[in-house]
Amino acid sequence: MNIIVLVKQVPDPEAIVEVKGDGKGLEVEQKFTMNFFDEFAVEEAIRIREKNGGKVKVISLGGAKTTEVLRKAIAMGVDETLLLEDPNFEGSDGYSTAFVLSKAIEKSDYDLILAGKQALDDDAGEVGPMVAQFLGIPHVGEITRLEVKTDDNMVVVDKVIEGGKEVVKVPLPALLTTQKGLNEPRVPPITGVMKAMKSQIPKMDAKALGLSEEQVGEKGAKIKIERYLPPPKRREVKMIEGEPQEAAKEAVRILMEVERIL
Amino acid sequence: MAKEIIVFVEQKDNEPRKVSIELLSTGRKIANDKGWNFSAIFLGNLDEKVFDRIKRYPDKIIHFKNTYLEHYTPEAFSFVVSEYAKNNNAAMILAGATLMARDFFPRLAVLLSTGIASDCTSIDWGQEPIKLIRPIFGGRVITELSFKTEPIVATIRPNSFPIESPADKDAEIIIQEVDIPDEIVKTESIEVTEPKKGKVDITEADIVVSGGRGLKAPENFKLIEELAEVIGGSVGASRAVVDSKWRDQSEQVGKSGKTVSPKLYIAAGISGAIHHIMGMDTSKVILAINKDPNAIIFNYADYGIAADLFEVLPVMTEEFKKRLGK
Repeated sequence: MNIIVLVKQVPDPEAIVEVKGDGKGLEVEQKFTMNFFDEFAVEEAIRIREKNGGKVKVISLGGAKTTEVLRKAIAMGVDETLLLEDPNFEGSDGYSTAFVLSKAIEKSDYDLILAGKQALDDDAGEVGPMVAQFLGIPHVGEITRLEVKTDDNMVVVDKVIEGGKEVVKVPLPALLTTQKGLNEPRVPPITGVMKAMKSQIPKMDAKALGLSEEQVGEKGAKIKIERYLPPPKRREVKMIEGEPQEAAKEAVRILMEVERIL
Repeated sequence: MAKEIIVFVEQKDNEPRKVSIELLSTGRKIANDKGWNFSAIFLGNLDEKVFDRIKRYPDKIIHFKNTYLEHYTPEAFSFVVSEYAKNNNAAMILAGATLMARDFFPRLAVLLSTGIASDCTSIDWGQEPIKLIRPIFGGRVITELSFKTEPIVATIRPNSFPIESPADKDAEIIIQEVDIPDEIVKTESIEVTEPKKGKVDITEADIVVSGGRGLKAPENFKLIEELAEVIGGSVGASRAVVDSKWRDQSEQVGKSGKTVSPKLYIAAGISGAIHHIMGMDTSKVILAINKDPNAIIFNYADYGIAADLFEVLPVMTEEFKKRLGK
């Protein structure tokens, strides 16, 4: 069973992110990590391979630094990696990112595609389902359990629904997006880290994928970021002083009489 | 043919989702200002009660029926909405940023060869191009974006727009049996663990009362529950207490949980790790209760009480009871 995992390198959640003066770009502290939800996808793919055989290939679209997350995936135990890198990929939106990824996936053998349910930088959660639509395959979002039925060429998954859980079966090939709770991602073993350090990361650009400049990145994007803004500033906190009981009563008074919430 | 704005309506417990009413309210304004047609679309089994609540906002309600629509699948839902949009000169398609819409709207965008703006908090339709506002980096940055293609496809965060009173005129009702080719629908539901009836999901709640490690033990969450009960709020939780299995994952607010934007957010015994802040800092009013006066949560709050929550919460609950006559 061959599995493709889509991962994204994102700024560390603790990294400082600021809007540039002209509002046209962001200043991001150079601390990066593998997207939180993608780690569950990598881990699950490795577990499936350990049980059923086959290969796990991790694909990422990003700049040269993205090799770091691909090396982490190798250290965790994946078989192959592919970096989609091209200056023309810059300025991608969900649509052009998913389009390029789907073109790269079409060139690979796969039964199953796993991807994190959402990237923690742009918080969109669009690329997984969009890739599935470009490929014309089904997807199931936010899975917390995955069972492969190799004899029937399908998977049975638990997915999160509002306030509950649904069990869904889907024939392969399919794309699944991973949610917290699916597994506990492993810490890469030292031998894995050593292997990752020595590994070559294969790369493809737009031309190698048979795509023109117009189809990718900012030109292929359907959405234009007009500007970035800092979040509206919250007023200075008003500390409610006094004994706990008095403060509690005063808080209730403020919420009801000043804020008129209730 | 005039352009059209389409709002996808979702129901829960035989009621329309609150966010659907919010979008029907705003959809009406956009349609009026732009001179567009306004339709609400509903897929599957529509309850009469839902119908009564939504019928006075749009010009048309199209209720699509097919056995494949009785249970949600992203393939069937995106197919039906895209076919309707293609045939009706759609300029804008909106849905609440619920799990369901966030699941199939990306597919819908691809089917329409257009982009998608997910989990937006505002729309500025008074100018061309229309601008949509969406937070990124867990709310630490706001983006203002426009579409290069039509239609605009967007999901909107609950509690972003007010609910307006409906008009006097009923919408035209169109019940439409649609064809969905068998080969389109691949996923099959085996079992649904029904969500608790009547429980408001924290993403749509007007008031959220959240507890963290400061509660000291899972049973002490009853202090949070009692306060939430009195003021009609939903219970939220920090990652620490979800990871410790004190509370269910569905209640987790923050980076790896849910993003909430209620009118009032009360955080008790939560220190304010950035992971948590990312999930709640678009709340309108935030009250933090923490015995550590230097807790980071106070930097993000409107009001703070630096005291022991065990002394504060029960008094707040009693005081609300008294004032609300409960």
